[in-house]
Amino acid sequence: MTEFLELTVDKFTFRFATDRYYHPEGVWALPEGEGRVRIGLSDFAQQSGGDVAFAEVKPVGTAVAFGDEVASIETMKTDIVVPAPVSGTVAEVNPALEMSPEVINEDPYGEGWLAAIAATDWEADRARLLDPQAYLERVREVAEEEMRKR
Amino acid sequence: MRGKVVIVPCSGIGKTFGTVSREAAYAVVEDLRPDAAELVALSLLVLGDEAARAAVAEHPTVTIDGCRLACATKMVQESGLPVARSFTVLDAFRKYRDLKPEGISSLNPEGQKLARVLAEEVAEAVDEVVKGET
Repeated sequence: MTEFLELTVDKFTFRFATDRYYHPEGVWALPEGEGRVRIGLSDFAQQSGGDVAFAEVKPVGTAVAFGDEVASIETMKTDIVVPAPVSGTVAEVNPALEMSPEVINEDPYGEGWLAAIAATDWEADRARLLDPQAYLERVREVAEEEMRKR
Repeated sequence: MRGKVVIVPCSGIGKTFGTVSREAAYAVVEDLRPDAAELVALSLLVLGDEAARAAVAEHPTVTIDGCRLACATKMVQESGLPVARSFTVLDAFRKYRDLKPEGISSLNPEGQKLARVLAEEVAEAVDEVVKGET
C-alpha cells in the first residue's frame, strides 16, 4: 500500500507518494520492473493546474527523451506541458483519460496515471529525479513563494 | 416567488468558471426563461436563510457549478433539499473546447459564448423540469 508524505501550506495540503521519484516540474515516475516506468502528475501539479478538461498523451510507440513533452493537459486555468521523467518509448496510455480526464484530479498517484514508458536507461534517469522528501522541499519553496506573491 | 424553477449558481468569487456559472444563471433568469426561473444565492442557503430554503424546498432546483468541487449542488443537498438537475462549467467547456473562458470581473468573448451556450442548456432543462411538474 502506497504511503504518503504531506505538506500543508496555508489552506492547501499536498501529498507525495513515497514509492516513486519526481521530475522537478511535477511528474512522478514509478518503476514497475522489466524496464517499464509508470508516470503521472504529482498532487501539487494537479492542484496547481486545477480541474482537468482534456489530457492528451503521446501515442504508444512514440520515442521520448528525458524532458521532452510526453503529454499536454488543458485545465480550466491553464495548459500544462508534461515533461517525460524518463527516456524511452511510450508503451501504454491510460485509456481512462479520454472519457474521464478528471481522474487525474481525483487520484493523481493511482487511477490518474498518464502513461507507461519502456525506459532505455532508468538508472541514469533516476539520478536526475528527486526523491519524495527532496521534491516536497521543492514544492514547499514554490508554494511559499506563491503565497508571498498574493 | 414568480419562478417555477430555482437556479442556484456557483459562488466562487475570483474564479473564472464561477463567473461563467453566474453569467449563465443571469442569462436564464433575465433573458431566456424570465417567467419560469428564479435565482437563489448559494450564500443564503449556507446561512440557513428561511426564504431561500423555502424557495428550494418548494420548487425544483437546478444547480450550476463552476468546478468539480460542486459546491452549489453539495450545499443544496447538504441542506436536505433535492436537486432536479445539475450542470458544471467544466462539462460545458469539454463540449465546446474552443470556448476557453478567461477573465473574472469581465469574461473574454469565448467565456461569454460559453456562458450563453450553458445558459441555453440550462433553459432547456428548466423546460423539461417544468413539463415534468405539470
